[in-house]
This record gives sequence, structure tokens and C-alpha cells, in this order.
Amino acid sequence: MTTVRAPGVWKRSANLRVGFLYLLPSIILFAVFLFYPMIRTIYLSFFLTDQNGNAAVNVGFENYSYLLTSPAFLNSMKATGLFVLYTVPVGIILALFFALLANEKLKGIGFFRTMYSSTMGISVAASSVIWLFLFHPSVGVFNRILLVLDLPQIQWLLDPEWALISIAISTIWMNTGFSFLILLGGLQNIDEHLYESSRIDGAGYFYRLRRITIPMLSPTLFFIITISLINAFQTFGQIDILTKGGPSQSTNLIVYSIYREAFINYQFGTASAQAVILFVIILVVTLLQFKLLERKVHYQ
Amino acid sequence: MKLMLLFLTVLSLAVLAACTNSDSSTNDEGTKEEGTKGEATKTEDDKVSIEFWHAMSGTGQTSLDEIVANFNESQDKYEVKAEFQGTYEESLTKLRSVGGTKDAPAITQVFEIGTKYMIDSGYIEPIQKFIDKNDFNADELEQNILNYYKVDDELYSMPFNSSTPVMIYNKDAFKEAGLDPEKAPETFAEVINSAEKLTKGEMYGFSMLTYGWFFEQLLATQGGDYVNENNGRTGDATEAAFNSDEGRLVFRTLDTMNKAKTFGNFGTNWDDIRAAFASEKVAMYLDSSAGVAGAIDTAPFEVGVAYIPHADEVKRNGVVIGGASLWMSKGIAEEEQEAAWEFMQYLTTPEVQAKWHLDTGYFAINPKAYEEESVKEKWAEFPQYKVTVDQLQDTVPGYATQGALISVFPESRQQIVTALEDMYQGKDPAEALEQAAEGTNRAIEVANKTKK
Repeated sequence: MTTVRAPGVWKRSANLRVGFLYLLPSIILFAVFLFYPMIRTIYLSFFLTDQNGNAAVNVGFENYSYLLTSPAFLNSMKATGLFVLYTVPVGIILALFFALLANEKLKGIGFFRTMYSSTMGISVAASSVIWLFLFHPSVGVFNRILLVLDLPQIQWLLDPEWALISIAISTIWMNTGFSFLILLGGLQNIDEHLYESSRIDGAGYFYRLRRITIPMLSPTLFFIITISLINAFQTFGQIDILTKGGPSQSTNLIVYSIYREAFINYQFGTASAQAVILFVIILVVTLLQFKLLERKVHYQ
Repeated sequence: MKLMLLFLTVLSLAVLAACTNSDSSTNDEGTKEEGTKGEATKTEDDKVSIEFWHAMSGTGQTSLDEIVANFNESQDKYEVKAEFQGTYEESLTKLRSVGGTKDAPAITQVFEIGTKYMIDSGYIEPIQKFIDKNDFNADELEQNILNYYKVDDELYSMPFNSSTPVMIYNKDAFKEAGLDPEKAPETFAEVINSAEKLTKGEMYGFSMLTYGWFFEQLLATQGGDYVNENNGRTGDATEAAFNSDEGRLVFRTLDTMNKAKTFGNFGTNWDDIRAAFASEKVAMYLDSSAGVAGAIDTAPFEVGVAYIPHADEVKRNGVVIGGASLWMSKGIAEEEQEAAWEFMQYLTTPEVQAKWHLDTGYFAINPKAYEEESVKEKWAEFPQYKVTVDQLQDTVPGYATQGALISVFPESRQQIVTALEDMYQGKDPAEALEQAAEGTNRAIEVANKTKK
């Protein structure tokens, strides 16, 4: 007649507690460096801050309503959207192209692999300075080439029509190295037997590319698309060095606009509101991606 | 999962509480601290050691490091440590995190448009206090520079590196265009005319860096105020005043040349416009007096320096100084303040100022420096240097040339830059200027709302 008494909560949660203990270091790090700043940002976004950056006047949602009707901020959103469209698809297609080339087994291919991924080794600041010289209106290489070809000169960074495109070109160049490396890694992981069998079946190169390479590469592609999108939304360094958001605000992407607002104008309130809006945009885009694209991803 | 979430919330709340606590405690400390406190930092051989934050890079930094080393050798009571803290904006951001505490540097170099911010910040001790206490003779310093940093007749910071705008032009191009190379155009109309004659092939007649500072200068030389309340000098400014007839005239003048294709737009980067001048893409441009030496050095042709142009109808009022000044911290040990004061006095001596002027092209804040042999020699060789000093000394003192005093200057300058860029792309000049005024008004309004 002995009844088995259910063990107490303390006992039952033993595993959970041990689990937490293991997680504790990362939870503390996240809390200090991610959660706290984030909560603080959301909190500040409802205030106007005084000269020392402390919350001074509670304005409710006024910062948000101001931003969403301010032509300057709407322009920043538009520029950011365009920038993402310019850089992400081209950058990934270019990287994929290079990766496919470099995946061929040729003599001395190591040299090309190193070359193609070399932009990864240059910091944004250093490469921006190089591009600054290339784009220079009076002594830059690009305008020299145009001059030799007898084409009209382009004010690369000074013409609002061109500035964003110029930044996009330099960004694609900077990011291709990283995407290339990841994609090449993905390509190398594809089982050689698949290709062998298809060759026996008489499949051509493009058929193999479409039916084997791309599906097998899809997890890697999905990863690189997500990362590139988020990176493009957060572009800062090249803007700061090449255009400082100008001309006529045409390259004032959201992150640069946040920087200006916070560290030049000392308005942490509106800067925080911008940061929150950016966060929401990235969150939505990433969720959409997972919903729409992940279905097409082929996991082995 | 639920437990995990609960745990997370509790933890983040705890962290939040901890952080806000520490926030408020440092704030309390900051406000309670009246005057000075704490022990001075000493070196091993018992010298009082102070920090000096500056934003000078390149030749400025080299020269400044030498001056600091000379000071440290010249006496055995104090030791100054000069530390480069990045651009003016960056160093100001860093100062904000330590300002008013005993960890603040004894001396900080802050750009001229940070003057209002620094006065309101409560981080600093006005220099006037030390001038009065030690009977320092401030009258021998350059009055037109002191005027900028004086508010209600009290000097808040020690001027250090000051510059003004000048017009730099290509004398060879003037000769080719049939103009007198010794006589640069003086008024807006003359500049428009000369620019037309100078524009030839790849060379534009005139250019100006797209930077708010130059607009302020062309406004001030007509006697126009930048903001109301007499440029913010007699009370807190509440709105922009630059969208006046004077401001519109500046925009219209630039627009006229831009439409006539005699104006070259070289963007917002100092190096780009200087390279354009040196590579003969533009014949006349506005630069800082600190850029004169570089222009003479790099140009393969003869370089002329002239006063900035003024409006045809109005007498020339002159220029507003730009650059930076040195601020003394509050809340540090008294001995450290004394050391800082001692160093500032050393900086104002004619010998040091002569060296500074020759090394960098900044003005000497002590005009006696111009009587030093080394300066005289250099001026004989390059009479262009003298023009910059003459222009400053010819300036008519007044609210306009004293310079505007607002805490949101960086933001307002950005508004002007955008307005200029929009105008160069074809926007109506008056409309572009009006938009900049609106942006500035909002910035001033927000700043006034949050002021304690």
C-alpha cells in the first residue's frame, strides 16, 4: 500500500537548473551587451534627451510620428531600400559566379581562390579610402578612363543620381570576398558522386548547375542572403568615409542617420526611435525570408 | 521554456536596475561637486601630472607635441600629457562620459561651435576666474579672437587654434584671362564677372567647399546674424535669422554662378577641393587660412590670397574666427587646475605662438608673435600669410562678426549643407534656404525644451 509520491518541484527541475548553469555565462553576456542596451534604446525612444544624453522630456510616440512624417527620414528609408536592392542581388550573383569558377579543379586555382576572397582581408575603412581615390572628381582613375574613352565625366560621389550607385559598387566589391568564401565552402561540400552519376546519365553543365549545384547549395545561399541583407541594412563605414550621407541626403542610410542624430546632434531620443524602426524593419524582412525562402531550401 | 523566459526577464530587470542605479549615483556626484576635490595625480618625481585632450592630427599634432615637450622641460613642477582623442566630435563625445568628474582631463580642446554647449554643460571652470585671480593681462591677446569666446564679457575658454576663411586664387590663370593677378575680385558681383572670364576648358572660375562655415562667413561679412537674440549673444536664441536678405543674397550669388556653369562643385571634402585647385580645375576658391601653406606648397603655379568677397551694397564687416579653444575642467584637484592654467599661459607666449603660427598656419593668439624674427622672415618670403592676419585685424567688431552662439550648431550646419546641395541640383535658392531655417528652428526648439 505504498503510494509513489511525485517528486517535488525542486527535484524535478534538477536538469533544468543544471542547464541554466551552463547557459548562465552567455545569458549574462547577452543581458549586459544586448538586452540592456536594447531595452534602454526603446526607453529612450519615448523621450527627448538633454545635452548630457539623459532622458529629459517624455514625449510618448512623438519621436516616431515625427520620423514617419519627416521627409528626411522617409528619404533615408527609401535610400536604404534602394541600397539593399542594388547591393544584395548583384553581390551574391557575382560571388556565386566567382565561386563556381574557382570551384573548378585547375592548376594554380589556389591563387585565384585567394585573389577572389582577398577583399575580405581589407577593412572597410582602408578600402573606402582606396575607393575615395578611384572616385575622385579631378584626379580619380574612373574619370581618367572616361576621359580617354571620350565619354562625359561622371561626378561619382557628388551627383545625387550617382552617389548611391557609387557606394553600392564599392560595397559590392568589399562584400564579395566574404560571400565568395562561404559559397565556395558550400560548393566544396557537395558530394562528388552526384556529379559523377549525372555525368553518366549525360547531363550537361547547366543542367547539373540547375538540378544539383543550386539545390545542394541552397542552405549556404539562404545563409548568405540573410547575412548580406542584414549587413546591407547596417552599412555605415563606407558612407562615413565616402559621402557623409550627402549629396542632398542621397546616401544618408538609416544607420548613418542614427549616427548623425546621436553623436553629432546629440539627440539620443530621435536616434533611438530610428534604431527601433530599423530593428523592426530588419526583423520583418528576416521573418519574411524565413517564411518565403526557407521552404525552397533543400536540407540533406 | 516558460521558466527560461521568466528567468531572462528577472535577470535583465536586475541588470537594468543595477545600471540605472549606477547612472543616478554618478549624476548625483556630478551635481554635488562644487568647485574642486580630490588629490592631484602625481608623477614619480612629485610633479603634478595633467591630461590634455586635443583633436590635432598631422602637422598640428607634431607641432603640439613639441610645444608640450618644451613646456615639460621648461619647469619642474608640472607635467602635461597631450592625448589625441580623434576629431572634435569624437573627443567631445568622450568628454561627455567623464565631464565634471575627477577623471576628466584638465584641459580639453573643443571646436568653436561647441562653445555654447560647453558653457551650458557645467563641466568647466571659466578661464576668467584664473585671469582675475592671477592678474593675467588678457588685453595683449588678439581682441578679434577673444571676442568670439567672450560671453557677457567673461572669457570662458582660452583661444588656441584659430583660423578664418580666405579666398585663394591662381595668379597664372588670372594673367591668362586678362585679369590683374595682384587684384582679386572684392565683391560678389566682381567674383561673378571674374569667374566667367576664368572659366575655360576644364577650369571652373569659382568654388566653395559645401560646408556651413563658409555660408556663415559670407553672411557675417554683410553684417547678417545667423540666429536671433543678436546671434544668441544677448539671450538664448530661439530661431534662425540666416534666412534674411543677406542669407538669400549669398545663396543667389552661388546659384547664379552655378547656373552659368562657372561654379565648380567639389563636394564636402577639404582634400577634394584643394586637389581641384592644385590640378587647375578651379581658379578661385574659399579655404581656411590654415590651408594657405598647403596651397602654396602643392600648386605648380603662383598662388594669390585675398579677403573673402563681400556684398556690393554693404561695407565689408569682416570674418568670424573658426578653430578651437581650450577648456578647463571643473571637479578636478586644485593643483591640477593650477597646472592647466600654467600651461595655458605658456601657450600664449609670443615664442610659442610664433612657432604654432609658422608650423600650422593658424593665427597667433598673441599678436606679439608676429614681431618675432622667424615670423617676419617667413612673411617676407610668403606675403600671402600676412593677408590672413590683416583680414582678421580689419574686422569690424559686432554681433555678426562675433559669431553665433547656439548649442545645435553641428545640426544647423548640416541643414545648410543639404540646402546648398539641393540648390546645386536645381532647387530654388530661397526655398532651399527656408528649408534649412526650418530644420534649424526645430533643432533649437528641441534643445531649448530639454534644457534644465
